[in-house]
Amino acid sequence: MDSRKSIPIITLIILIFFPLIQFFPSVFGDQNYVLHLMLYAFYYIVMTSSWNIIGGYGGFISVGHNAFLCIGAYIAGYYSIMWGVSPFYLILLAGIGAGIFGFFVGLITLRVKGPSFIISSIALIMILRIVFDRWELVGGASGITLPYNSLSVEFSKFPHYYGFLILAIITIYMNWYVRHSKFGLALRAISHDEIRSAVAGINVKYIKVTAFVLSTFFIGCAGAIWADYLTYVRPNIFLIILIAANVVLMVILGGMGTVAGPIVGTIIFIAFNELILSYLGATELNLLFTGLLLVVTLLYFPNGIVGTLRNKGKLPRFLDWG
Amino acid sequence: MFIIQTIILGLCLGFVYALMATGLTLIFGVMRIVNLAHPIFILVGAFVAYYLFVLYGIDPIIAIPLCAAVTALLGAITYKLVFEKDAGAQTYSEMTVLLTFGTAMVLDGTLSYFFKNTQRITSPPYATDAIFLGELFLPTAQLYSGLISVGLIIALGLFLKFSKLGIAIRATSLSRVNAELVGIDVKFVCLFSFILGCALAGAAGSLVSFVFSFFPAKHWEWIAILMSLVVLGGMGSILGVVISAAILTVIASLVGAFIAPAWSTLVFFVALFLMLLIKPHGMFGKYLE
Repeated sequence: MDSRKSIPIITLIILIFFPLIQFFPSVFGDQNYVLHLMLYAFYYIVMTSSWNIIGGYGGFISVGHNAFLCIGAYIAGYYSIMWGVSPFYLILLAGIGAGIFGFFVGLITLRVKGPSFIISSIALIMILRIVFDRWELVGGASGITLPYNSLSVEFSKFPHYYGFLILAIITIYMNWYVRHSKFGLALRAISHDEIRSAVAGINVKYIKVTAFVLSTFFIGCAGAIWADYLTYVRPNIFLIILIAANVVLMVILGGMGTVAGPIVGTIIFIAFNELILSYLGATELNLLFTGLLLVVTLLYFPNGIVGTLRNKGKLPRFLDWG
Repeated sequence: MFIIQTIILGLCLGFVYALMATGLTLIFGVMRIVNLAHPIFILVGAFVAYYLFVLYGIDPIIAIPLCAAVTALLGAITYKLVFEKDAGAQTYSEMTVLLTFGTAMVLDGTLSYFFKNTQRITSPPYATDAIFLGELFLPTAQLYSGLISVGLIIALGLFLKFSKLGIAIRATSLSRVNAELVGIDVKFVCLFSFILGCALAGAAGSLVSFVFSFFPAKHWEWIAILMSLVVLGGMGSILGVVISAAILTVIASLVGAFIAPAWSTLVFFVALFLMLLIKPHGMFGKYLE
């Protein structure tokens, strides 16, 4: 078996069995924090990979994609309290709700390209922030509080770990599928020139909106699990621009419009963030370094890690997924 | 009477918003850069005005040139460090927007690290004063800031209309290639209009410092508001921005007065979405890719 298939499969097997070290605390110690970091990485991989569908292939840079994360989290949180079930049963509902919301938002905002689209995505967060801060049905600014799950502390992260792992695999597969399908080809044609794509017989509006709905659906699903993990849903946690900025930065760092790019970017960014947090601690400096990293990446490696390596012909085969 | 008063107050605020947005639309018109870092330059101006007032007792209105000079210098440095490479590009590119986004994050992080996210406002004597005209009650802070904004916008308009450099700026924003053909130094025009835009941001910041209370993270909200104004005005059109700012701020203050203050900022964003729905390329602008 060549390294292109074997390395991802071995990594996957390690990831599936990794949490089992929690059963042997005498040998490995308590690794809850490592588990947290890993599921945090999966959570961001879901977001970056689904962002990549519309942002990377479609060329529609959205800096407000956490709006859909928030919608998914609120749907899962609200109905899980109302029906008394765990948000895990509501993942699909959250995804569909975010997708429907994304459908209507996409119908409006995808009419424009470029600066107007970016601005409308920022405005979307601001609108939702104002609405959710004052919507008493879903708790206003204090949001919804969810119960903890009944597992003991060592194992309490297991459902989220596997939930995000499965979701991340599905999203990465979806990303790969879009990259190699006719649908993705049409999407990439649209990102270059909409009018010429329409002349070539592509149903531009259908392709754009479908890609947008697809990307919002997975983010909504992630929102449901993240709500259960945090045990609260609150506007000032979900609707901050830093989340969207992180997503955009991770994809650009890894390489826009590639399948492996979002994954590589996410892992490197989270490692970088951990380093800053452990050495400097302060959160304001975190924003400063995130911005600095974004500027430096854009100025010197606009194609990202995967893109730059590919252009030089030095991309390892196991990352070359198209 | 109450309605007339709300409209007048709305207009005053609208002109302040218009001044905040003119620099943005000027930079977009010439360089095709959507400068998401513009609101943080306004905040830098506000901080300069605040500290000049607190430490040396300099009135924010007198401090306008100083604030403008500081942000212009900062703008020149940013331009040299970040945008010079992209300034040569004829068309708009997504990457430059993200560059400005990163710049905004860097400046925001620096400001909040040094000054912390606490509410600040300068309080010169006229900030709490008011003029009574019959039954009309006009707070002087809003009135002065509105009038000064109108003055600065008119000065900018005259400069663009009649001075040689202004004509060069307008020519460059119409067509970069043709401007180069007739011998305009496009690179210099780009640098100059970026610095001019940043100086306008600093001047606006000085006015903002006694009209709104401010803190470093506030600029994200301003980005959305100012960008809505710019998009509504038709990217790159200064007159369009002034008109849309005046109309929308009046509506926003009517909403704030008759429904609830909290909903008033929603007007800008809803207007943006409505416009994307009806006329995707701006009320007053031409089609720009």
